[in-house]
This record gives sequence, structure tokens and C-alpha cells, in this order.
Amino acid sequence: MIFAVGFGASLGSVVRYALTSYGKKHWMQGTACPRPTLFINLTGAFFLGLAFALRLPAIVYAFLGTGVLGGYTTFSTLNMEMVSLAENGQKHVFKRYLLASYLGGAILLTCGYYLGSLL
Amino acid sequence: MDTVKNYLSVAFFAFWGGLARYGLTEALSFYGTVIANLLGCFLLAFLTYFFLRTSNSRAWLTTGLGTGFVGAFTTFSSFKMDAFKLLLGGQNFGALLYFTGTIAAGFLFAWAGKQAANFAAGKLLERG
Repeated sequence: MIFAVGFGASLGSVVRYALTSYGKKHWMQGTACPRPTLFINLTGAFFLGLAFALRLPAIVYAFLGTGVLGGYTTFSTLNMEMVSLAENGQKHVFKRYLLASYLGGAILLTCGYYLGSLL
Repeated sequence: MDTVKNYLSVAFFAFWGGLARYGLTEALSFYGTVIANLLGCFLLAFLTYFFLRTSNSRAWLTTGLGTGFVGAFTTFSSFKMDAFKLLLGGQNFGALLYFTGTIAAGFLFAWAGKQAANFAAGKLLERG
């Protein structure tokens, strides 16, 4: 169980690192909005809702849910980006980023959950 | 080469970050996620701003600790999931409290981490 979580977290984090590095170069032209993190957290929330609803065996859920998706999404980077947006006076982007992350994440997780319940 | 080093470092530290979070949630259920997320916000801001000020040359280590360990330690998806589980359990007020409380506290902890880093780096640079 421990290895399932650990290796899952490694895998998820490496994907997050790759996407963030790529996204910083290609998805952020002319915007201060941290789109890579937003994309990662929203997709991660969707898939966790889906994984939870599928009632996977405990070991699979530990690997996929707790490990991969837990390591893939991040709460700390999101908040550090918000602090930096607030301190740079980017009020407009700050509000949009806050709403998109938290509200969008809640909506997508719910969508994932109901999709998983149907399957 | 540096890129490979960074990726290996992220993978290695993320293993331990994920395990630390798992340990906390096994012991304390959803309070474990709260602790991991808030502590992680403080730690990531502290690490990032501290090394920014003291110009650390080992990029692989800061990437490993920040992106790997703390990134895997904190989780956005489980935070959403826990709030959703409270809703499913009919605890509407609890879910709202958990949701808004974590959002506000996460921001405050990240802000505090930055202030602490600037303070610590200032002290360190003063001493030379």
C-alpha cells in the first residue's frame, strides 16, 4: 500500500512538473494567470471524482487517487501564486484565478463523480 | 543533464511527500489533509522565497523539495473530495466551513511563509 502511494505520488508529480514547465512557456502569453496549475488542478479534481465513484479496490484507489492524483494536483503552488498575484496588485486575475480554481474544481469533481456513478 | 537531474529529484522527493500525506490522513482522516495542505502552503512559500533571497545554486534540490516533496504533500483534488464527501453525508454547513476555511487559511499560511522567509533570509544576509 505504501509503495502504491509513494510511486503514484512520484508519477503524478513528475507529470505536474513536466506540464508546468511546458505550460509556462506556451500557455501564458500575455497573461499573469497561472494557467498550468489551473489546468492541473481542474483535471485532477475531475479524475478524482471519477475514481471515487468507480469504487475501485483499495490498493488501486491508493495508487491512483491518493498517489497519482494527490501528487499531480497541488494546493501549495496555487496559494503561493495567489499571494504573488495579490502582492503584484493583479486584483482582476486574482479574483478570476480564485473562482476558476475553487468553483471550477468543485464543479468538475461533481461532474466526474456523476459520470463515474453512471459507468 | 540538469533537466534529468530535476526530474529525478522531483520523483524522489514526491515519493516521500505523498507518503507523509498518506500517513497523516491514515492517522487523522480528513484533518490530515487539512494539516498537510496548510503546512505545505507555509513550507513552499518559505522555501521558494528563502532560496530566492539567498541565491541557492543547487536548483535540483530546491525543485525536488518544493515541486516534489511539498507539491506531492499538498493536494487540491483530495481537498475538493473531502468537501464533497461532507456534502454527500448531508453535512452542508460542515462542508461550507471546511471549504471556505481551507481557502482562507491556505492563503494566510502561504503569506506567512513568505514573510518568515524574508525575515530569515534578512537575518542570514545580515550576519554575512
